[in-house]
Amino acid sequence: MRKLGLVFMTIMLVAALAACGGKSSGSNSSSSKEIVFWNPFAGPDGQNMKKMVDEYNKTNPKYKIKNISLKEGDMYKKIQTVENSGKNVPDLMIVHAERIKLYHDNKMLTSFDKYLKDYPEIKAENYMQEAWKIGDLDGSRYSVPLDIHSSVMYYNKDLVEKYAPGALDDNIVTYDEIEAAGEKSQKDKITGLGITWMKPIFLSLYAQNGGKLTENGTDPTIHNDQAKAAFQKWIDLYKEHVTNKDGEDPLQLFLQGKLIFYPEGIWMNNNLKDAKFDYGLTNAPQLSNDKSKMVNWSSSHQFVMFNSKERTDEKAKGVLAFVDWVRDHSLEWAKAGQNPASLKILDEPEYQKMAQSFLLKDPVEQASLKIFDYKYNGYVSEELDAKSLDIVFGKNPVDKALADIQKSLEDKISKDNTNK
Amino acid sequence: MEAPVKVIEKKATFKRSKKRTVNWTPWVFVTPHLVIFSLFFLVPILYGIYISFTSWDLVGKPDFVGLANYKEILWQKDSSFYTQFHNGLKNTFIFVLLSVPSCIIIPLLLASALNAKPRFHKLFQSIFYMPTLFSISAVVIIWTLMFNVNQGPINNLLGKSILWTGSQPYAWATLVIVTVWWGIGGNMIIYQAALNGIPKDYYEAADVDGANAIQKFFKITLPSIRGQILYTVVITTIAQFNVYGQPLMLTAGGPTDSTRVLLMDIQQNAFGSGQSIAGIASAMAFILGLCIMVVSLIQFLFLRNRD
Amino acid sequence: MKNKLLSFPKLVAFLFLLLMAIIWVVPLIWGLVTSFKGDMEFKTIGFKFLPVEWVTTNYTSLLVDNDSTPLLHWFFNSLIISVVHTLLVLIVVSMAAFAYGRLHFKGRNALFLFLMATMMFPGVVNLIPLYKIVDSLGWVNTYWAAIVPGAAGVFNIFLVRQFMVNIPIEFDEAARIDGAGDFQIFFRVVLPLLRPILMVVALFSFTGSWNDFLWPSIVFNDIEKMPITSGLQLLQGMYTAQPTLLMAGALIAIVPTFILYLFAQKYFLQSMSLSAGVKG
Repeated sequence: MRKLGLVFMTIMLVAALAACGGKSSGSNSSSSKEIVFWNPFAGPDGQNMKKMVDEYNKTNPKYKIKNISLKEGDMYKKIQTVENSGKNVPDLMIVHAERIKLYHDNKMLTSFDKYLKDYPEIKAENYMQEAWKIGDLDGSRYSVPLDIHSSVMYYNKDLVEKYAPGALDDNIVTYDEIEAAGEKSQKDKITGLGITWMKPIFLSLYAQNGGKLTENGTDPTIHNDQAKAAFQKWIDLYKEHVTNKDGEDPLQLFLQGKLIFYPEGIWMNNNLKDAKFDYGLTNAPQLSNDKSKMVNWSSSHQFVMFNSKERTDEKAKGVLAFVDWVRDHSLEWAKAGQNPASLKILDEPEYQKMAQSFLLKDPVEQASLKIFDYKYNGYVSEELDAKSLDIVFGKNPVDKALADIQKSLEDKISKDNTNK
Repeated sequence: MEAPVKVIEKKATFKRSKKRTVNWTPWVFVTPHLVIFSLFFLVPILYGIYISFTSWDLVGKPDFVGLANYKEILWQKDSSFYTQFHNGLKNTFIFVLLSVPSCIIIPLLLASALNAKPRFHKLFQSIFYMPTLFSISAVVIIWTLMFNVNQGPINNLLGKSILWTGSQPYAWATLVIVTVWWGIGGNMIIYQAALNGIPKDYYEAADVDGANAIQKFFKITLPSIRGQILYTVVITTIAQFNVYGQPLMLTAGGPTDSTRVLLMDIQQNAFGSGQSIAGIASAMAFILGLCIMVVSLIQFLFLRNRD
Repeated sequence: MKNKLLSFPKLVAFLFLLLMAIIWVVPLIWGLVTSFKGDMEFKTIGFKFLPVEWVTTNYTSLLVDNDSTPLLHWFFNSLIISVVHTLLVLIVVSMAAFAYGRLHFKGRNALFLFLMATMMFPGVVNLIPLYKIVDSLGWVNTYWAAIVPGAAGVFNIFLVRQFMVNIPIEFDEAARIDGAGDFQIFFRVVLPLLRPILMVVALFSFTGSWNDFLWPSIVFNDIEKMPITSGLQLLQGMYTAQPTLLMAGALIAIVPTFILYLFAQKYFLQSMSLSAGVKG
């Protein structure tokens, strides 16, 4: 009887192994004529990216693109795991600008230099400067920008007319103007300013105050008067009831027509399209009316190639061919609400009509776009995302919170072996 | 753990009297699981323990640092990892203490009531089990809407504007309510299976003795399903120690880190948006594992058969 | 007298269950009706339990209009993964539980305790080594990666073992005297009696596998190969959130597990009374 059982078991195991073996042989089929392209566009913008890729594949390129949109967090975890095992590394990937320095310092990226001579149009003059310079590290090119996306401010036109007439004449809304409008509108149960994603709002204000995340590129500097003043501005606005209350959803307030100013990213525009009132898009709230001092927090999606033994030179050229094609055909990406980094977009009449285009059309506006590419920006983001709202709502004293953030950043950075 | 051991001993003597050769049959039964277990659980865990003695960013080679990570999170008071770890562990324990009793008692009461087979008991059972079928993100979507300050049904029903996820003690209440709603289905079914297995004549005998319902519950029902209660207590405790999705997506650890549980710190250190600090994360995970082990052991000692 | 005794507890039980069921069902209904609200209506009209205007756009945009989210594909993938995973778990768990609960071998209790102890360690940081192992087996981007590793768990063995304690050992002994070996006892005596608890294990494994999303999203590179829960995560988008749409997605995703539950419920209630009959 025991024998029978053993036989049964063996058959089962063999069958299982055979099945697995059979499957796995066909699995690593990232066929050599295909460029595997990972990107974090899992939302509605994923549709736009897919359209672009389909369009490109229709041109019958030597290497077709295989588009894989992943959830942002999952994608960044996945790239760690595949880089670690060295297999299944994507041929091309989109990452956020802020991460590139770190990946580069960890020697995870492949330089574009070798292939650029075949694609002369991929050059500084053809791209938005702030986004282009991110990929320039140690004199080599490690990334090419797809877009530059900024945190701006939406406003309800009727309400601005009523409570802040003239505030938008110069297309800059200052905090003083917001405060005045909010104080007026309180009586009518209209909220002046929405408390949304504090990280970009704070960073932009911090930069306007002259603050820097780091002086020497490594050590963080955030526990200082500039940062305190930036948060204090919002603490005061909250205390004066200019902003929405804790727990209220500013998006809903705005759509309900109960909020005048709604600071958010340009990518939110698609979500507001069905609003039943007229709204506009302007610069993020500023301290002064002086356009040369303006700061609009921005980030950028950048094409990179992670190190991979499986990517041949030929294939890398195929990657560049696609990147170059995108430079020429980025209108579809603008339709997702984004600002493409390729300056060629400015020739498109359709783009000129898009609300977010004001940031690129005017050189002064362009100069206001600032990418915070501090190497440890990831840590800064985590800390700001965890603490900012508590600071603004008065649950965490600003001085203590900033001291904690500073300490936490220092401790985390001290763990980085690449500095030693 | 004692009951099965005794049973086995009885059987073992029975067996030995028959043959004395080494018996390989049991190994045939356990090998399939052991192979899968070793490959996909044990090896990764051992590797994780090794990592806890190193400094590693998931990219280069791990640097051996001995006990430095443990020293830092356990004793180095001026380190922010110390603060992180102690706050996270404290909050994890609070959550376990708040949620485990409800996750045991409520399903036990429900199962007992269902076992009486009143009208519509199958419908009721389905209703209680249904939330368990959802993934955590779906559960969070539903409850974020439920607890919304202005537009949520709960505040509208109460006629208040409580800040459920943003102020204490409501933030803890929110997490416990959501966890109980989502998670009792499994335990309820286990209890039902167990209750169904209690022979009816036990109760009939008790009826003859004139016992009331409460006496019967404590004298017959509870002792008869002790094995399953032990199982559910241990498993539920382990599950709640591993709480992650609810605080991450409902309260984001707030207000002021008061619901920030240890697993959130572990995740962020290992797979955050900055450079990975996998050594510290592994050390935190290892100590969390030790804590769970100690708590489970205590539960074993309290809940085992005492005869 | 006897009738009264029987019906009073039943009434109490009924009232208690009714009260709890109302509490339990409100969020479910809220989720359901929300999935029939328009995005704009949801965001602009204050609190209203029922939709002002019932719309099905949330469902149609998921099921019909969306060419980048192959929902049916995902459904199929999830079915394969969850079914095979569940079968694997049932085989592995029932065999192991039989050995740890019924057979005698050297180091048995120590081994079982060791297995349980390792289960206490949270697995989050082990993603990298686990991935490496799965990768070296050539399983990345195959169903096996989502099917097999989950069967490593010990808790189900613990559960079945606890249940087995209640099956009288005399059954085994009687069979042994009739000349049955361990395998015959396992297949003919123990396995049939374990049916109710194995149904529970099957339900848990299936649901767990169905709802897992982090691991699948790591091991599958092709969108078409992903299971449904990972796939639906993609819909959540980067910066945007549409609660009404997400709710519809969540409800679509539980349909199969709910059907399995209804089937299993019938089955394990029936077999539970069978096993009780055997014992009594």
